[in-house]
Amino acid sequence: MTNAFMVSGLTKSYQDFVLDHVSFTVPSGSIVGLIGENGAGKSTTINAALGLVGKEDGMVSILGREELDGDVKEQIGVVFDGSNYPEILSPRKLNRVMKYIYRTWDEQTYFGLLKQFSLPYDKPIRQFSKGMKMKLAISAAFSHHSRLLILDEATSGLDPVVRDDILDMLLDFVQDEEHSILVSSHITSDLEKIADYIVFIHEGKVVFEKPKDELTERYGIIKCGAAQFDALDQSDIISYRKMDYEWQVLVSDRERAQKKYSKALVVPAAIDEIMLLYVKGEK
Amino acid sequence: MKGVLVKDLYIAKSNILVTIVSLVVLGFGLSFLLETSALLVLAPVASTTAAFISITSDAASKWNKNVITMPVSRGQIIGEKFLFYILLAALGLVTALVPCVVLACFGGDVTFYSLCLYGSIGISACLLAGGISLPCAYLFDPEKSQIVFMMSFMASTGIIAGLVLLINLVFPVKENILLAFGIVLGISVIWFFISYRVAVKIYQKRDIA
Repeated sequence: MTNAFMVSGLTKSYQDFVLDHVSFTVPSGSIVGLIGENGAGKSTTINAALGLVGKEDGMVSILGREELDGDVKEQIGVVFDGSNYPEILSPRKLNRVMKYIYRTWDEQTYFGLLKQFSLPYDKPIRQFSKGMKMKLAISAAFSHHSRLLILDEATSGLDPVVRDDILDMLLDFVQDEEHSILVSSHITSDLEKIADYIVFIHEGKVVFEKPKDELTERYGIIKCGAAQFDALDQSDIISYRKMDYEWQVLVSDRERAQKKYSKALVVPAAIDEIMLLYVKGEK
Repeated sequence: MKGVLVKDLYIAKSNILVTIVSLVVLGFGLSFLLETSALLVLAPVASTTAAFISITSDAASKWNKNVITMPVSRGQIIGEKFLFYILLAALGLVTALVPCVVLACFGGDVTFYSLCLYGSIGISACLLAGGISLPCAYLFDPEKSQIVFMMSFMASTGIIAGLVLLINLVFPVKENILLAFGIVLGISVIWFFISYRVAVKIYQKRDIA
């Protein structure tokens, strides 16, 4: 399987933050969710990969090319959180701008998507709601035959109905094995619905890169008391957290844990619980 | 580059219309007080404000970030802004010529000599100011850039005065005014081109997040 997107050893330092040798891949035909708390380094990773900020070290390969030239940029659609276009423009005017920017701009697809999303053609973007702006940005990203879609917190702040519409579009997009998506979000429930792989970044480092099914179907949380916790084998524990009335212990194989600790309550772990235990738990 | 220019024209459209109307009205109004062709000094500078409106709009709407992900190079983005600036200055100049030509047809006090003189002063001031403020717009944050933008016009008049004094050391400016301001215009063009190269270098290295 080829990779649509790959970063290896990506490093960028700021005064108070370091993106520390981040490496992960987006296999072709898949959706990869980049998760992590605010300030973990998700946007810095995307910005460094797209050449918005200079990288100090590391390698970036997009659609098999290390140089991010115009040909590669023709084939990637990027959607950032919030506003993406001058708000004085209307969707129709934006079409006139975009058709001179992208050689592969497809007016028919663009207006089709505007119609599908019930977006007005001639209303200035400043009069759009956040959801409408996001739908417009996604319509534009889909209208130049992108092979790779990169969404940076694109669904943040949207209501569940709009988010669901957008997630459906993303799922449709990757039906063709040629298309891939990298989506950064701290709304892990969205990624549970659509992602094939999850990359977890914490304090500028990749904590894990795993298939989503492995996380949701194999990982588990042992909920136990102090005595049971003391009896746990340390090698089974990924991380743990002491709550008010119980201990929560993250394990990588909940079925094995249930067999081994038959008296303990072992429950499936949601991605946000895994994230919380990695970030707030002890090891 | 064409798409980015179309975007800037959309952003500046209302501002351009206001500038055109103001210049025409001012031109006819000035004819009662001074030489109408003096409007050519003001027109190019006044009309280029739209370029800064587009730069601040790009930053506010995060277009400056989004456009980097499109098949447009950083050099092209800067090149477009400088081209847009020149187009606006040219538009201002042409607009200011309208009342001059109309008044000349009706026997007004407009000569080819005065048009050349005031035109070269206006374009020189415009290019010198743009040469200062455009690279600064990509070097500083929007607030500082606006201060630089306002100060650049004062600086440009100071530079023109300085250049004229220097030229006066070589030959008497009073007897060769048009030649002196022609030299100032030439220096301004070179300054603007160097400024463009500097702005491209600044922008190539700039982090946009």
